[in-house]
Amino acid sequence: MKKIIYSTILTLTCSVMVLTSCKKDFTEINTDPINSPTSTPAQLLAPALVNTVGAGMLRNRNFNNELMQVTVSLSDADAQVFRYEYRRTFADYLWNSWFVQLTNFKDIYTKAGETVTLNKSYQGIALISQVWIFSMLSDTYGDIPYTDALKAREGILEPKFDTQKAIYLDMFAKLEEANTLLAANTSILASSDPIYAGNVSKWRKFGNSLYLRLLMRLSGKAEVSATVIAKIKQMVDTSPGTYPVMASNDDSAILRWTGTGAYTSPYVTNVREQDWRAPSISSFFIDHLRDWQHPVLNITTYGKGGVNRWGIAQGKSGFQGVPSGYLPGAGIATESYFYSSASLVSSALVTNLQNDPLTGMILNYAELNFALSEAAAKGYIAGSAENYYKTGILNTITTWLPNWPNATASTTVTTPATITDAAFTSYLSAADITWNNSASLDAKMEQIHLQKYYALFLVDLEQWFEYRRTGHPVLPKGAGLKNGGIMPARMTYPVYIQSANPTNYKSAVAAQGADEIYTQVWWQKP
Amino acid sequence: MRNNTEHNSSRKMRKNSTQKFTDYWRRALSPILVALLLLGQLLLSPSLYAQNGTIILKGTIVDDENGQGIPGLTIRDNTKKFLGSTNDKGDFTFSTISGTALTFTMIGYEPVNRTFTRSQDGLTIRLKPATDQLNEVVVTALGIKREEKSLGYATTTIQGTQLTDAVSGNWTDALSGKVAGLNLVRSNAGPTGSIKIILRGENNLGGNNEALVVVDGVVINSGSGRRTANAGETVYGTGSDNMPADYGGGLNDINPEDIENVTVLKGPGAAALYGQRGANGAVIITTKSGSSKRKGLGITINSNASLESVNRWPDLQYEYGQGLAGAGYYSYGAGPDGASTSGTSSAYGPKFDGQSFYQYDPATQAQGKTRTPWVPYTNGVNSFFDVGQTYTNSVSVDGGTDNTTARFSVTNVQNKWITPNTGYGRNSVALSVNSKVNDKLTISSKVNYTNKFSDNLPGAGYGNQSLMYWYIFWQPSADPNGLRNYWKNGQEGRAIQYPFSSFPENPYAISYEFINKSVRSGITGNVQAAYNFTKELSLQVRTALDFSYEQREQDRPYDAGTKLPKGSYRTQNIYSQEATSDFLLRYNKKVSDFSISATAGGSILRNKYNKDEIRADSLIYPQLYSVSNSAGVLVSVPDKSRYNINSVYGLLSLGYKDYLYLDITGRTDWTSILATPERTNNSGFFYPSASASFVASDFFKLPKTISFAKVRASYSQVGSGGTTPYITSYTYPIANGGLFPGGALQNPLVLPNPDLQPLLTTTYEVGADIRLFNNRLNFDLALYSGNTKNQILYRIVDRSTGYNQTIINAGRVNNKGIELAVNGTILQTGAFKWSSTGTFSSNKNVIADLNGDSSVVLRTGPVAGGQIVAKVGGSMGDLYGRGFQRSPDGQIIYDKATGFAKITDDVIYLGNTTPKFKFSFGNEFSYKQFRLNVLFDAQVGGVAHSLMNYKLVEQGKTKNTLPGRYNGIIGDGVNLNADGTYSKNTTTTFDVDSYYRAQMGADNAEGSTFSTDFIKFREARFDYTFSKRITSSLGLQRATIGVYGRNLFIWTPWPIFDPEFGTLAGTDIVQGFETGQFPSTRTFGLNLVIGL
Repeated sequence: MKKIIYSTILTLTCSVMVLTSCKKDFTEINTDPINSPTSTPAQLLAPALVNTVGAGMLRNRNFNNELMQVTVSLSDADAQVFRYEYRRTFADYLWNSWFVQLTNFKDIYTKAGETVTLNKSYQGIALISQVWIFSMLSDTYGDIPYTDALKAREGILEPKFDTQKAIYLDMFAKLEEANTLLAANTSILASSDPIYAGNVSKWRKFGNSLYLRLLMRLSGKAEVSATVIAKIKQMVDTSPGTYPVMASNDDSAILRWTGTGAYTSPYVTNVREQDWRAPSISSFFIDHLRDWQHPVLNITTYGKGGVNRWGIAQGKSGFQGVPSGYLPGAGIATESYFYSSASLVSSALVTNLQNDPLTGMILNYAELNFALSEAAAKGYIAGSAENYYKTGILNTITTWLPNWPNATASTTVTTPATITDAAFTSYLSAADITWNNSASLDAKMEQIHLQKYYALFLVDLEQWFEYRRTGHPVLPKGAGLKNGGIMPARMTYPVYIQSANPTNYKSAVAAQGADEIYTQVWWQKP
Repeated sequence: MRNNTEHNSSRKMRKNSTQKFTDYWRRALSPILVALLLLGQLLLSPSLYAQNGTIILKGTIVDDENGQGIPGLTIRDNTKKFLGSTNDKGDFTFSTISGTALTFTMIGYEPVNRTFTRSQDGLTIRLKPATDQLNEVVVTALGIKREEKSLGYATTTIQGTQLTDAVSGNWTDALSGKVAGLNLVRSNAGPTGSIKIILRGENNLGGNNEALVVVDGVVINSGSGRRTANAGETVYGTGSDNMPADYGGGLNDINPEDIENVTVLKGPGAAALYGQRGANGAVIITTKSGSSKRKGLGITINSNASLESVNRWPDLQYEYGQGLAGAGYYSYGAGPDGASTSGTSSAYGPKFDGQSFYQYDPATQAQGKTRTPWVPYTNGVNSFFDVGQTYTNSVSVDGGTDNTTARFSVTNVQNKWITPNTGYGRNSVALSVNSKVNDKLTISSKVNYTNKFSDNLPGAGYGNQSLMYWYIFWQPSADPNGLRNYWKNGQEGRAIQYPFSSFPENPYAISYEFINKSVRSGITGNVQAAYNFTKELSLQVRTALDFSYEQREQDRPYDAGTKLPKGSYRTQNIYSQEATSDFLLRYNKKVSDFSISATAGGSILRNKYNKDEIRADSLIYPQLYSVSNSAGVLVSVPDKSRYNINSVYGLLSLGYKDYLYLDITGRTDWTSILATPERTNNSGFFYPSASASFVASDFFKLPKTISFAKVRASYSQVGSGGTTPYITSYTYPIANGGLFPGGALQNPLVLPNPDLQPLLTTTYEVGADIRLFNNRLNFDLALYSGNTKNQILYRIVDRSTGYNQTIINAGRVNNKGIELAVNGTILQTGAFKWSSTGTFSSNKNVIADLNGDSSVVLRTGPVAGGQIVAKVGGSMGDLYGRGFQRSPDGQIIYDKATGFAKITDDVIYLGNTTPKFKFSFGNEFSYKQFRLNVLFDAQVGGVAHSLMNYKLVEQGKTKNTLPGRYNGIIGDGVNLNADGTYSKNTTTTFDVDSYYRAQMGADNAEGSTFSTDFIKFREARFDYTFSKRITSSLGLQRATIGVYGRNLFIWTPWPIFDPEFGTLAGTDIVQGFETGQFPSTRTFGLNLVIGL
């Protein structure tokens, strides 16, 4: 009996010892069996770009397009964006979507800087992408966390806000660094890059074109304009070789949706067809296109299956829109609208923007030309404002209709159209949009920005940013407008920031002004 | 203007609702008050009616169960003077002074106290067999059985019969109102109705507050009891995602018929020996075993049928139909009367005034050819819901010899739920065997097998695939029967017809084509052996297994919304297994007046979970659900987790003279969850506990009125590392659901914590158990206080940190509370007996520290900045959101120009989502073979935001949106003048839609935040037990027939269905934000028990 007792006690003591040493397996047991402990820049780049562009597209559609009179919702309800009134809940989406993508770009930069995975091109691409996103965030909200942002891993859970000025100056430094890094032309994996398929020199051109976009945004801000204008001049006139910029539509930064897997347009995966068709097109947007006889509206020569290139349906009396900013109860009925992906015309699926590959616009060649046209008109640079203006108009057309002036079906095109082609000149004069060099600067600005407005169609919130900066193109104002009839100057900060980052939120509001849509951001103030 | 005066501002409405609520209380409390008065009177009655004079009493004393006379029973008076005894037939005759308190006592029976004021003959006094309350044995942690009086912490035991009196779809619901300090959070999401059990309030900011659930020594929370959510399904599914169905878990599947009893160990002290997972208390379920007392076989047949129907509806209006802004006409599509008005979801349209309009014709699925009468379909939308039916039949067989006992039971449940084409079936088998192999060795085993299957479970929440979403969006002017033909004419199987706004889906299509299937098999069981080396030393070795395998399937037809235009087929195979092996070495010794018991043990726990999901989100042929019909690439969504916990523990119990007891425990856990792929050094943690119990009634000479008095005190600590693995190392998940060719990664959205520490809960508790008047009136009181530190939190952070959430160790929440349970026999005369029970509990917590953060966002609601925020000085469950702008004296500020209420930009405090008090009051009346049981319970002091209320108001569907249509309305409040002063609001607005949207709509969380106070008539049962004579003549051992009801009435200011709602949130059920809840139901049932 005693023997049994002792042997049992011995066994138990042993098992206790085994138990205490059992935690040795724990490292293996608590290793995630699905997620990867490491990643490479190549693995991270594509999803980060896709998710950033996707968020911008969705807000382009239901925010920018409503404010900027591309579309008009048919609603008598409260808080309609097109009436300069939007719910605070609008604020969360871009803030929440874009900041977490910045984490990926920051990580790409860090990883590409490590010895094992050293790649200057990924570093440069990561910097350009960070600047691109940070600038959109700052232009949307004003002061935002920047220096302290993306540092949760370093323990900063309540980041300080930086002033927009400080952010812009640092972004310029980042773009300089990117330009240098990309000059080395280190190759990258084509499949990791859904924008340029691994063409590093195009990334460099994109970076510098973005640089010009942001410099122009500050060019009217008194306290920095001198340096900014000098920089523009250096880039365009003095050292264009050091700062290559986009030279054709091929260089445009567009994330082209192939329609398969992750490259399905967010307009297909996130917008219901009936919702896609629901807003009417505004008169401001369509009247110009119709009056100019813009080829994107043309059905017979440049359309397909009875539908034009932009997939715009006709209203009750042809291509006609509804006025924006109307009063509730005005009894507005729908007119022209965008066809959705399953829309049928004479029992065939139609061309439509919902599943179009070109809606992933980031920065296109036409936009750059209009920026340069403005710079030339204002005397910042030496070139011809007229030529940049014309190149902008032409490339807006050829972005969508590469064969123009030939018909879509034409296969005989050998050289792209130029601004000296007769067809182009006659288009300008027929549309009555020929450059007027003797006009006032304000009239020139209106001319440039009215065209630029169409170049910026589908480009995140750029139409809105440019309008806030320049006041062009002049938009008609309806009687139903709120906010004193003044274009909202920003989005408010997401409501949860008041709880999640309260101290810094309060300081930011104290520094910038009330957290309201009418509070101007730094570059907007004179 | 009549409407204007009728209308009140929201603040006033709140006041009104408070007033209404006071009325509820007055109405509901009155029976309780009456009962209390009666109780007082009865207790006083003997002295009031006392008279002097000798009386003679004659009669028989019988066993209450079998009606046979009890011989040899002694009768004494209040001075313990012997007055007489019964003869061998149980008859007695004796004389005494009128008004003397008499006691009839007999070993094995509960004593009866009676007082007589006149001579009587032919008395029948019934004695109930004693349940031996004083030496009641309680199953404590690790299955150790202890005498209740030796325990230094609070426990409550519920007998199995209390759970089957009024059978509920989910047996846990029957715990409601029976245990002080027990909170149930219900999913309200379909027939399986998952319930989460919280004991003593939430003290853990991380939401990991659930009590441990132990079935026959098997912890089932993280095995078969785990609620598992399908990836990407959320209750706020407005992106046309699949809505989550409540697939239930192992806890729901336990057959209440098999439950012997449930012991609730409330504090962490009670559960200290369960280790880290017992930090939130434990619910210990013991299933029935065979009995050796019975001679031969015992066969019990239990048959139960119940019907359930909706017990409460929102107050829908049937005065105005579809339309906007009081439109003058209605037209389905454009027509002779004008442009279409049928695109809206709102019912702010024309009044039902005998007009005729061009309306929807279900036959042609287009505008009718002629004008048809414009009439309301009163209760049309409500008639969509059926009467639910549940049939439960079980047979159990038990018996035994001196050395071996066994019990076996089979149960079948069939359920048809209140929405069309939903329900489930369940078969369960339970086996229990206990064999004494010899004097030293006992081997026993319990195995429960469950097979649960459903052909369709409804999707819950707010999104276009949800039935309740349709409920909100349906029109009072349309007949839902017109939706029964749910395919578009000529496009059967390919396109779904829905006549109005494009947001909701056809509810019949959802019911018959949007299918969520599940088949789950689970086994929980244990095998244990106990060996007594000597009288003092014994060893118990046990292995427990909790295993379940579930196959789920979601079928979606063509045209199932934006994301699934070509339908979808998804399957999940879920494998879950938790195995625990443990040993306990026990040494018991009695030395003179001291008893010593020392226990040492250790356990190994292995938890594994695998979920493999395959998705085909586009189908080649409609309505053909198989992977081979996938039009695109099959997407796989894997989910795996694994963790081990190893533990050693010890327990030392000391007893002195049966009245003083001391327990000391210590335990160390090592959990793999706290390890990282690099190190294991903080994965182990130790925690102690001590408790003492003092039975004062055995030590002091207490007044006779006190039959038993015990005081207890305990101190305990419990640590926990949680049950979510892989949160200590930074890893990259697959990007965008694996849709990128060649595989792409992204940074995680939740930042892990490589320095994760265990949380630590410390609790102090004192309590008393006092029984008066020969156990006729019993009190059990517990007071506790403690804190939880180093909580493992998923903190929602400013996304500019680069992440959505970070996992932190932070916070200290101080928690204190009181629990009181009272039960007493109010009246016992002859065959009539009335006994009552009551519970009261209150828990208060204060967030004392958040590691320097001023506030931590724990959960965000769907609209109006609604969020649950933890702030230092605040409480768990504090609800914040945007609300009314108010003047300094609290009046609502209205915009002078528009007449609409102005909404704050900032979030404001709206209340706390956890009720402050809960109480219950139950009564049992028995007379001869009849018994009546009623139970009420209530909660006070919580609030919640109702998404359905806001949405119904915005769409003008509820009666509270009628005032002001369309003669204008003036909000009751003030205007802010340019000079900063306030003046009474005089602006009349005719834009009633916008007015109500400002009052209660999407931007105004305060407007749709309501009190969740309630009083519920929770249970009622009336049954009849056939007398021995009848059953014997039928050859039965016993037979009972009963009718019962559950959730019969709710008195509450909450506007929509049930204030006791919970919301599915991934694997959790949360409080605070109602998000399209299903209706609550009232159940009526018939129950028959036959013992052969």
